[in-house]
Amino acid sequence: MIEQALVAVEDLAFVSALRNSTFMYPLVNAGHILGVSMLVGGIVPLDLRLLGLWRTYPVMVFVDVLRITSAIGLGLAVVCGALLFATAALGYARSPLFQAKIALVLLGVSNALILGRVLKRQDIPSLPMKARMPLSLRVGAGLSLVVWISVLILGRLLGYF
Amino acid sequence: MPQLRFTYLLCFAVLAAFLAASAAQAHHGWAWATDEEFEITGVIQSVRLGNPHGEVTIDVDGEEWVVEVGQPWRNDRVGLSKEMLSEGREITVHGHRSAREGERLVKAERVVIDGKDYNLYPGRDS
Repeated sequence: MIEQALVAVEDLAFVSALRNSTFMYPLVNAGHILGVSMLVGGIVPLDLRLLGLWRTYPVMVFVDVLRITSAIGLGLAVVCGALLFATAALGYARSPLFQAKIALVLLGVSNALILGRVLKRQDIPSLPMKARMPLSLRVGAGLSLVVWISVLILGRLLGYF
Repeated sequence: MPQLRFTYLLCFAVLAAFLAASAAQAHHGWAWATDEEFEITGVIQSVRLGNPHGEVTIDVDGEEWVVEVGQPWRNDRVGLSKEMLSEGREITVHGHRSAREGERLVKAERVVIDGKDYNLYPGRDS
């Protein structure tokens, strides 16, 4: 049932065209990499600030800017990633690496949403500039670092196993 | 102190770049295969063409081998189509096999079907 659906996805006309394209596939691939780089490139400094680096700069500067660039990166990575997935849906769906990667993406997104709520509830903007972040935020930031970097590594390994 | 942190980060970046480079070597290009020219003949079982590269599964005396052919434009350039690679056809592959012991995987430089050459990498000896 699921297998049939995945094969049907692979056989969609635009998916076939992408699979057999000369330029579109590498361009979608580049879009995926751009998305991942914006996501990880934003998340890393944001998490490090929450963990206590760069305390001479206001935490909300990091939060307000990098949350947006990371979210845009995530969106781009998901859209381009879905297209790449579609070109070999059955193979990816069966891959334990891919399954683990998607599970971690869901964990990372949930964690980010929770972090956003904690930021609001703990009234972080009113804390003194050099204040240490609450433990819940630091734990969440540490988890976020580990999860997103693991997602990147798993994604890369997918091409080789 | 900020100086020290920067040095740490730089070290981390260099390490990451090395890891990425060695991982990339593992698959793209030819570094993952042996240097020796390799030739194998088998009967086509199944084919999946398309990006990032096509894969043809062949039967060689009861053993299954996977042959990596080119990305779409490279296959198109020599006229290697899905129809040419239909099930049951005999194919001879010239290329390089995986350096990983026991792995039955060949990257094709040139394939021969019905006595006709399809040279995917004209610039390489095969």
